Amino acid sequence: MSYLIDEGKNASHLLMGNEAIVRGALEAGINVAAGYPGTPSSEIIECFSQVAKERNLYVEWSTNEKVAVEVAAAASFAGLRSLCVMKQNGVNVASDFLLHLASSGTRGGMILVTCDDPGALSSVNEGESRLFAQLLEIPLLEPGDFQEAKDIIPWAFDLSEKIRNIVMVRSVTRLSHASGNVHFGPLPTRVAKAEFRNSGPLLDPETGPMIAMIVGAPEAQHGPQQEKMKRAAEIFETCPFNTYTGPATPELLIITSSACSLYSQEAVSILGLGERVGILKLATTWPLPQRLLKKHLAATPKILFVEEVAPTLEDHVKVVAAESGAEIGVKTFFGKKSGHLPSLGELNPDLVLMALSRIFAVPYEGAPADFSAAVKALAARYAPPRGMTFCPGCPHRASYWSINNALKLDGRGGFVCGDIGCYVMGTMAAGFNTCKTLHAMGSGSGIASGFGKLKQFGVDQPVLSVCGDSTFFHAAMPALANAIHQRSPFTMLLMDNRGTAMTGFQPHPGSPTNVLGEATPALDMEKICRAMGAKVEVSDPFDLEKTRQKLNHLMEYADGAKVLILRRACALSPERRGKKEYEVTVDESRCRGEDCGCNRICTRIFGCPGLIWDGEKKVSRIDEIICVGCGVCADICPAGAILRKEVA
Amino acid sequence: MKIFGATKLAETVIQTELCSGCGACIDLCPYFRSYRGKTAYLFPCTREEGRCFAYCPKVEVDPDGLSRFLFAKPYDGHPLGNWRSIHVARAGARVKRQPFQSGGTVSALMYFSLRSGCIRGAILTGRKGLLPVPQLVTRPAGVWRHSLSKYTAAPTLAALNRAIAAGHEALGVVATPCQATAIAQMRMNPLQNRSFRDHTALVIGLFCTWALDFRKFEAFLAERVPLKDIVKIDIPPPPASVLEVYLQEEKREFPLDEIRLLVPDTCGYCLDMTSEFADVSVGVLEGHPELNTLIVRTERGEEIVREAQRQEYIILDDMPVENREHLEWAAGNKKQRGLRRCMETGRLNGEAGTACLRLTGEVTDRILKNGRNGKESPCHT
Repeated sequence: MSYLIDEGKNASHLLMGNEAIVRGALEAGINVAAGYPGTPSSEIIECFSQVAKERNLYVEWSTNEKVAVEVAAAASFAGLRSLCVMKQNGVNVASDFLLHLASSGTRGGMILVTCDDPGALSSVNEGESRLFAQLLEIPLLEPGDFQEAKDIIPWAFDLSEKIRNIVMVRSVTRLSHASGNVHFGPLPTRVAKAEFRNSGPLLDPETGPMIAMIVGAPEAQHGPQQEKMKRAAEIFETCPFNTYTGPATPELLIITSSACSLYSQEAVSILGLGERVGILKLATTWPLPQRLLKKHLAATPKILFVEEVAPTLEDHVKVVAAESGAEIGVKTFFGKKSGHLPSLGELNPDLVLMALSRIFAVPYEGAPADFSAAVKALAARYAPPRGMTFCPGCPHRASYWSINNALKLDGRGGFVCGDIGCYVMGTMAAGFNTCKTLHAMGSGSGIASGFGKLKQFGVDQPVLSVCGDSTFFHAAMPALANAIHQRSPFTMLLMDNRGTAMTGFQPHPGSPTNVLGEATPALDMEKICRAMGAKVEVSDPFDLEKTRQKLNHLMEYADGAKVLILRRACALSPERRGKKEYEVTVDESRCRGEDCGCNRICTRIFGCPGLIWDGEKKVSRIDEIICVGCGVCADICPAGAILRKEVA
Repeated sequence: MKIFGATKLAETVIQTELCSGCGACIDLCPYFRSYRGKTAYLFPCTREEGRCFAYCPKVEVDPDGLSRFLFAKPYDGHPLGNWRSIHVARAGARVKRQPFQSGGTVSALMYFSLRSGCIRGAILTGRKGLLPVPQLVTRPAGVWRHSLSKYTAAPTLAALNRAIAAGHEALGVVATPCQATAIAQMRMNPLQNRSFRDHTALVIGLFCTWALDFRKFEAFLAERVPLKDIVKIDIPPPPASVLEVYLQEEKREFPLDEIRLLVPDTCGYCLDMTSEFADVSVGVLEGHPELNTLIVRTERGEEIVREAQRQEYIILDDMPVENREHLEWAAGNKKQRGLRRCMETGRLNGEAGTACLRLTGEVTDRILKNGRNGKESPCHT
């Protein structure tokens, strides 16, 4: 039995923030959870799936984030409690439905959990999801620590049911992926019974149809929606998760939220400013509790905003201060706009310390300027110099090798439009710099579809797109449909590595099992593409020459959209992990090393971490520990020095 | 001669489309590869010196160095280069009549050389569809499958590099002028590799005014005839001025003026019509489509020619003076045109690593004086 459903009295466990959110939802009696994988959010659905049977939950990995919200909304419409979860980029995908959902409202409590990634540690951007709450006109909550991450969820469900609308809960990497001790509450015992009531009057929130469509009459739904926000603001005035620590009239008030509240506490403590600085940690960051804020603003002359990514709190609190200027007087503000804190990247205690030391002219020796250089130098002594690259045995490296070669041989200046997955590294040396655009999920194929239609303006080189199997279902199918219908002659490389690999092998509609491991129909991408009207070929990316030939052939075939499915499971996938196909060795006597005729193509260009350059002997070697025995390097060695022997 | 690496070669020759696709840099390493008539540079090689650069006939060519190496004579800019003797030639009685171009001298010499053991393998160019495909032929009879003109550039020297890497020795090669230049550069062991050995035994150079860009030529024909039905392609001697395409059932003709548009820019920089750095050179004899002109240049070439004649694989006759003069006139024209082009574009004696070729002022002047402006000669690959 999972510790997540520990029912022991006074139980407490060390939980990741994401696990705490799950426990909170379980204590709130959640019924349905849906999401699309994305770091740092992925553990939430996985944790729900572990306890789905015991807690009678319906859990799914949805095709994309928009579908996840729709699936969760259906549960809410039927009176159940539901949660949908995604990383910040996913909120962009879901935003169209979210805007309409916020308009129709919800019935059973419904929460949107978004896990933001300040610093873009595992994202292509550090997008800010908090601004969506303002745009969508829905309440936003930000837990400040691990206990709160659990406790705030039942409170959010209650709020959602009180105002009959979806509530957004935002976490960040350092909350989702860090761990802290969490005290458990009781798990409910009620058995859920759902019913979608829809025969009542049009706008009846209890019994009417759930419709976001009152054409030409904004007051019908927008008005009530704004009323809901006013109610939420009122409730937020006494929210138990908005806390203040510090003197009654601090010299400086820090206003903060989320993980930044921890950095603030640490910085104040280290500088010994506890008597002079107050910390107002807000959990309700949209709409803001105006009276609460006014009370705290009135008590201090100076305010420092400590928050990551966009100056959201900073901007909104300044509006409150301006509106209450006559009552609270003129204030001095510090934060991103004053330059006391950086406007991008993650914050940390040190950055807050430096801001405080500037404001108070308190001397603080932060990390010495040469500290990070010293750390890097030290690391370099033990870590091999290596850029970001694909894992040993990764099919993407082999795929990009063939893509590069096909493009170069074709010689017409063709290029690849990149997409989201491990294969973003196609923009880097790891993927031989073949990808020349990179944006959102599925966008590579949409952009390629567009490039394919620019011939009349002189853009007539071959256009390729890469797309993973999960990404194909998530967002690339509409782009492919577009290209086929518009006769855009691009070639989609569908890199089917048998799962949503980058985030941990979550199943997708092409997988034969669902999140619970139950058998489900696996959609056949090859048949889908053919049925859509594309010319389709399938290749094993480990067969470099055949893959290259097929790609060149498709690129030369001018008419319409083509798809080359490159099928080979990820090296870390359950089906390949730990299984060596070949024992790979180097015949040092044949290795040409740096000589004319090779110049270290295996270690310098191919770059599999399983290949090591022996600088003393001037030959390549195999790192037996990390080589997974894919054997592809034997095919790239021009001297036949890399030998592979099938493992019996 | 200054030698650079692959990146410089890619910059100077490949990216500027100066590459003739001869294949000299192919199959030496994993970085260069030929595909449908074009040379591709797949990945950056960081070596400062490479055989690819040293062998390339389009960059830093030193005709004087080559001439001294092959003929022990300085390069003087003569329209036909260095030669020992010039003949009218055709296949002899020991050669059954085969579908070869003109007099069949090239095929006959290769056939003889393989049969006699003068060479143990021949690098020839066959065809797959329209695409010229170089191959190693070790059986004498295999020569006849490669006996027809291709008219498009072929990476023949890739097959030579492959054959050498596979351990073949005493190889014969049928080469265009740019390829003959590349082979001569290979034979000089420019990187001073200690284990180097010269594995060529006979280089037969072809006369060449230009070769067509394969991709453009294929596209041109694809629009006009069913490619799969093409049996043979020929450019008959003047005054025809057409390209003949023999199909299964019919013959189609296309004006040479249209075909010349498919000649790659690189041919315009070429000073060599008669494969001056080959052992022997062979072309059509002006006015006699059934006969060849044969220029014997080196001692080893001379030995093979003499023996082939003695054993009646080829028949030699004296070259009429007016034919030789006409050949010199045509070759001199090409030389002058190519030289002017190099000069106009800064590729004669230019910056190290970017010059096509290096010549002294004296030789340059002589070429410019020798050449006469006139119409193009009808000799082709």
